[in-house]
Amino acid sequence: MTAGTATRRGGADGDLRDRMLRLPRSPIFYGIVVALSAAIAGEWLGVSPPAAYGICSACHGRDLADWILDHTEATKLFVSPAGASWPLLTVVGVVIGSLAASTRNREFRAIDLGGNLRQFALGAGVMCAALFVGGCPTRLIIRTGYGDLSGLTALGGVATGVVLATLTTRRVARR
Amino acid sequence: MTVSLVSLAVGCIAGYLGQRSRMCTIGGLRDFVLVRDTGLLKGVAAMLITAWVAFGAIRLISGSSVGHGLIAAGTTPSGWTAVAALLAGGLLLGFITTLSGACPLRQHVLAGQGRIGAWSFLAGFYLAAVVYTSWISPHIASWVL
Repeated sequence: MTAGTATRRGGADGDLRDRMLRLPRSPIFYGIVVALSAAIAGEWLGVSPPAAYGICSACHGRDLADWILDHTEATKLFVSPAGASWPLLTVVGVVIGSLAASTRNREFRAIDLGGNLRQFALGAGVMCAALFVGGCPTRLIIRTGYGDLSGLTALGGVATGVVLATLTTRRVARR
Repeated sequence: MTVSLVSLAVGCIAGYLGQRSRMCTIGGLRDFVLVRDTGLLKGVAAMLITAWVAFGAIRLISGSSVGHGLIAAGTTPSGWTAVAALLAGGLLLGFITTLSGACPLRQHVLAGQGRIGAWSFLAGFYLAAVVYTSWISPHIASWVL
């Protein structure tokens, strides 16, 4: 917290205001807001069935890609019932929201770190694995909160995989 | 119509907050293993607990029930084969995601703030979505049911 630490202007009001302004920077706030909006969108605003479908980058991306192909090329690819008539635009929204946040705070910059072919292959692998277990890590968390035992099992696998990959990467980097 | 608008709004909220907080669902565990930093892990815990409370509250308000208490009906893996398939799939997902550097939602956020590698990731991501539903899913999707 060095770059974004706000200067204290003294007084209870200024302190509270600073704290409110810094709230979007907190991961805990992100977790609460995303889980709440996913639950409300999934249960009351029609983003279902399947259950606990409020937010997911893999499933909603699959639905959008397949919906576009189904409507332009007349293919019959699988689209979940929630996104069959009108497309689910979550993934577009995430990119737009992040673009808005980064331009507003002057953080938007085109950076090329290289390794694009590797990222392409990894992206393909991530999508296949995510669709196999039924959701990206974010949706696995939401599903576990919903009471889904399959989601909990897959989440346990994901946690093990993350730890294994981190330890492997560290070992390779140290050698 | 509503579905499109609702999902777009949810996505915008998640994207905005995700850019500000640098939140990543796999980053929490990775940072904890590497440098014992629990900042992002707290975000994951908050998301899990909030989802649990929110779904419980919604069930109380609407008076519905989905199964035996907190466990939703029809979500239990049918056998040990399904459990093994879910664990193996999750393991693969966690492993590849960590190698790529960020969870899929975070890659969308990075793409929005101008990371070229994230756009390459997304290209492979959506190509694989079509390939998976067309050719791979009919053979292996029933393993996890």
